[in-house]
Amino acid sequence: TELSGDQDFQLFLQRNLEFTRKIRGDVAALQRVVCDTLQLCKEDELLLVRQHLDIAQAPLEQCHKRTFQAETCFSQIRAGLHIYQGSLATIQALLPGHAGLVETLQLDMANLSSNIQQQMEDLDLATVTYPTENQDPLPTFSSHFHHQVGGFFILANFQRFLETAYRALRHLASL
Amino acid sequence: GTLGCASVTVGSPIVPLGSAVTASCTVQRELCRGLEQGKVRIRWMLDNKLVAGSQRQGPGGTEVSNLTLPRFNHTQARLWCCVEWNGTKQRVGMAEIRAGYPPAKPLNLSCVLNLSDYGLTCQWEQGTDSHLPTSVVLKCTGSRAQEVTGCTPREGHSHCTVPRRLLQLYRQMEIWVSATNALGTAESEHLCIDPMDVAKLDPPTLQSIQSIPFQTDCITLAWDLAWGTEHMELQCELRYRAPEDSAWALVTGISGRAGTAQRCGFLFGTQYHFQMRCRRNSASALAHWSEWSPCRSYTTHEKAPTGK
Repeated sequence: TELSGDQDFQLFLQRNLEFTRKIRGDVAALQRVVCDTLQLCKEDELLLVRQHLDIAQAPLEQCHKRTFQAETCFSQIRAGLHIYQGSLATIQALLPGHAGLVETLQLDMANLSSNIQQQMEDLDLATVTYPTENQDPLPTFSSHFHHQVGGFFILANFQRFLETAYRALRHLASL
Repeated sequence: GTLGCASVTVGSPIVPLGSAVTASCTVQRELCRGLEQGKVRIRWMLDNKLVAGSQRQGPGGTEVSNLTLPRFNHTQARLWCCVEWNGTKQRVGMAEIRAGYPPAKPLNLSCVLNLSDYGLTCQWEQGTDSHLPTSVVLKCTGSRAQEVTGCTPREGHSHCTVPRRLLQLYRQMEIWVSATNALGTAESEHLCIDPMDVAKLDPPTLQSIQSIPFQTDCITLAWDLAWGTEHMELQCELRYRAPEDSAWALVTGISGRAGTAQRCGFLFGTQYHFQMRCRRNSASALAHWSEWSPCRSYTTHEKAPTGK
């Protein structure tokens, strides 16, 4: 769809670029909490343990390609947000003292997803409606330590996911 | 009815102020112990003032009195049905009547998003008093007329806060006030805003002011953005003046990234006061400026003597 000149689409992109930056800031704040409280700060110190864990990583290859399609990329962003929204329950269990920050993050993710959904509908693109309550089973960990490392990698993967999504939105905004 | 032997009915317990009120009192003699003998004479009292009704026989040996008050001008009154008994007036039935106006249209609705908790506080002017119990609710919905949420102001207040979980950030929401009483409903104008467009920012912090480049009439300011705005694109303004200046000099269009700004044309050896403010760089005209930052003073250096 020829979108670059569409003013509403540009406004959507500007708003949700800022929103994505905000969410990345929220995730970074949680990563700092994990570092400060659990002393899990560097990924390269946890590569061995990671091999024993089954950590969700949302695919975003549709947003990587130089000539990506907004529709498939947006759908993958929404699917990924849905996956990570479920995974955040793992973080909530790890950091009970920061439930507020996790809830804010979950709210922001839900809003970002529905903003994208509405924009897709405005562009007559096919969309998926996810249930508000996430039914996917939570990952189980063999030990509390593995649970902590699992939480660390969920945030790290999610931060990378957001960076890719941000670049995709910025690419669309630059067209 | 109060004694079980009389019942009072009114056309409507709530009427427009100044409109007519009709009422009827039915007295069933056999249920009124002590009234068995003699003629039943029904009287009406509006609060404590006698008013005239018309009495007739009703079905089944009852006595019925009808009353019409052509222009009911009380906002609230009690209509008493009385019967004469042993030379006294006995109150045997009562109806409370209220009068007022449909709610006034709530005016001047405006909202501010508080960045510390992302609650959206809206305020409005309630308009003239309707004299009637009126329920006021702030309503908001996503632009797809999805579920309507909002908040309810405390009694007598005309502001309330929509919590973050009921908001949709970075997208148009429709927000309005609805006032309802027994005589009708009135709605304010509907605001169509992205809550972020009415975010109220804390002011930036002026970190340092220096005469740079050295020995010139220029100064360089360094500032930091308020917490919670790092991800935003902001536009900022700087104002400064010497104590003796009557007006502030204003520097606009400073890009919002934390950093430095340079300004020249300052007098030597003069104390200046500086303040800065920012707002979101959004298309909306509703974007609120932050307050001005706390004032920061700086005295420019003396001019270097020119060699002869």
